[in-house]
Parts: sequence; C-alpha cells; structure tokens
Amino acid sequence: MAPLQKPGSFPLLGALATGCLLLIGLWTQEGSALPITSHCKLDRSNFQQPYITNRTFMLAQEASLADNNTDVRLIGGKLFEGVKVKEHCYLMKQVLNFTLEEVLLPQSDRFQPYMQEVVSFLTKLSSKLSLCRIEGDDQHIQKNVQELKDTVKKLGESGEIKVIGEMDLLFMSLGNTCI
Amino acid sequence: MMPKLCFLGLLIKFFLTSGGETQPTHESLKPQKVRFQSRNFHNILRWQPGIMLAGNSSIYFVQYKMYGQPQWKNKQECWGTPALYCDLTNETSDLREPYYGRVKAVLARTNSDWVMTPRFTPWWETQIDPPAVTVTRVNASLLVVLHAPDLPYRGQNGSNESMENYYDLVYRVFKINKSVGKEQKVYEGAQRVVETEVLTPRSSYCVVAEIYRPILDKRSQRSKEKCVQIP
Repeated sequence: MAPLQKPGSFPLLGALATGCLLLIGLWTQEGSALPITSHCKLDRSNFQQPYITNRTFMLAQEASLADNNTDVRLIGGKLFEGVKVKEHCYLMKQVLNFTLEEVLLPQSDRFQPYMQEVVSFLTKLSSKLSLCRIEGDDQHIQKNVQELKDTVKKLGESGEIKVIGEMDLLFMSLGNTCI
Repeated sequence: MMPKLCFLGLLIKFFLTSGGETQPTHESLKPQKVRFQSRNFHNILRWQPGIMLAGNSSIYFVQYKMYGQPQWKNKQECWGTPALYCDLTNETSDLREPYYGRVKAVLARTNSDWVMTPRFTPWWETQIDPPAVTVTRVNASLLVVLHAPDLPYRGQNGSNESMENYYDLVYRVFKINKSVGKEQKVYEGAQRVVETEVLTPRSSYCVVAEIYRPILDKRSQRSKEKCVQIP
C-alpha cells in the first residue's frame, strides 16, 4: 500500500496517466455518452490455464455422459438472440451466477474432484465480473436468462446435470464474450 | 439360470442356422464402442460389431447432429455401409462445437437400436500429429523447417486455414548428437524456421520435433528423426 500513497511515485503517475488516457479514449469514442458496459471484461489469462481448462472439459464430459437429452442446449445461439454483442458478457455473467448459485453449489458433492476446482475457478470469475453492468434496460437480457432458468427448472435434476455437462460451453462463452 | 440357458440356446441356434431363419435379437446386434476418433480434426466415427455378429456382416446406418439440434441427419455415404467407420470430418467442422453421432446395425431385416457416441468436441479431443520436419545443413548450422499438419478443409474464402488459427501452437525442436548420444532441446516457440549451430565436425546430428498446445498442455508425438552428416 505504502508506495501507492507516496505522491509523485512513478507507479501512481503511471496509473493516473493511463486512467486519464482511458477516460479520454472512452469519452471521445462514445461522444459525450458514458460507455454502455463497465467492467464487463475478463483477462485473457483466465482462459489460458491448461489445468483448469482441462478440468472444466473433463467435468463437462463426465456430466454430459449422464445427459441423454441431445435436443436441448442451454448455452447456444438462442441464448444470445436479440442481445447486442457488447452486452454478451453481461448476459454470460447472469448465466454464470445462476449456474454457481443454483446448480453447482447444490450439486457440489458430485463429479469430484473436478467440481470443486471448477467451482472455485468460476467463483473467482464471478467476483471479477461483480461490477459488470450495462447502462439502461436489461429486460431483453433477463428474458433470455429466464428462459434458460425455466428450461433447467423444467428438466429438474437432469436439467442440473445438463448445466454441468455444458461447463465447457460456459467456459468458452465467457472467454469469447468477456475477453 | 434360465435366462442364461436361453441365451446360450439362442447363441447356438444362431451359429447353426445360416442367419436366415433365426432373427437375432435387437440387443445382440447393437454396435459396440461407438466413438469419434479425431486426428488433426479428421473426425472419424468408429464402432465394433454387435456381440453376435462376429462371423456375420450386417450393414450400418449413421446419423449425426450438433448438440442442441432437434433433428438427426443421415450421413448418405454411410447409409447402409458394411464398414465399421464413417468419416464425419465435414459434418463436424465447427471445431469448438459439440457433436453427436449414432449408429444402428441391420441384419436380415432386424434393426438394432441406435447407439450414440459421447458428446464430441473436436477442438478439445483431437490429437495433433507431429510436425513435418526438413533439415538442411548450412555451413555450421542446421536449418530446420517445421510444418504443422494441415486442416482437412479450406476456409470460407477458399484459402487454407491453418492449425494455428485454433491453437497457439508451439514447436519444440530437439537436436541429437549421434556420436555422443546426447539430446538437447534447441528451440521452443512459434517460428516455423529454426536455425541451430552444430559445433562438432565429422559427426552426425539428428533433429526431432513435436507440437505443443500450451492451452491444453498437450503435446503431439515426436516426428521421425531427420539426420544430417557434418563433414
């Protein structure tokens, strides 16, 4: 903490300068409007760790063996219908939080040891996205997320298995939309 | 005991009659071990005959779909095939998407049930072959040229899409001094042309290479040794 508080220290100046540049950049880019999304971003490095990538795919593979319903897919084209590309990360944040709270935590004693590792990884991502917001109305997004939730609820236990079987898709979608 | 005996009876009857009169059961016809095998994104569906089909040849019907699609699609080239495999490379070319394939066997007008593969995502499951390697001597150096396996199809604009579009591939090059039998890693990186010095004259050097995918921590097998004699 100490170096940050020292006035005139280079890191602070640097941070200020980048901050200003960033702000100027954003202001000029969006005219006088504020940026639509804020903090809806994840670092690429989150998705470049072979260990957790492999664990996520293994978890998905194991759960998907127990999912015989090949017609219904939760994370796919339909989820993004009517949602602008720059809102996709925010949408995935909603899906991630639902997945963690309502599926992975209740099912957390299953599919070990993968489950535990994937849950702690996704929890970190979720906290990194905690400030991710979009400006204005998000009803159209909530509608799509609600459809996913309804599908899972309707399928009951096997819906939860389906969610876990799509962990690889969740992982890749977060990467695609939030990097 | 009874079911076991019945089964044995059925088995004997099946082998005694020449397939015509006795209809094999659905269960015994079912193709076994239905799996995708994927190398360099060539995605081949493979299976084994049903348990009672050792000597008998049935024909097979293959369908596929992307996970989430409601309809299975027939694979025309494998619709009534006697083969035990079916090339679904083109049907599974969206490499990061999950797919399913399924097979049923038909013998003497009896259909087996469909047997489905596990969910299959080429990007995650494909095995990458070692790179093609050429080695030439230039003065006191070896010039190593590396080439990742080609993808099985062309991109949308007709150009050749490369493996590098799907992974951040890394080449690893090893140099082996034959006279001392010593191996040494001389390069790791994305460059396709690598130059490495050889210091000992009148000796034989060999080069092998492999492809590493950092994002999955997976390596290919090693290429064959390419050797050069230093005068």
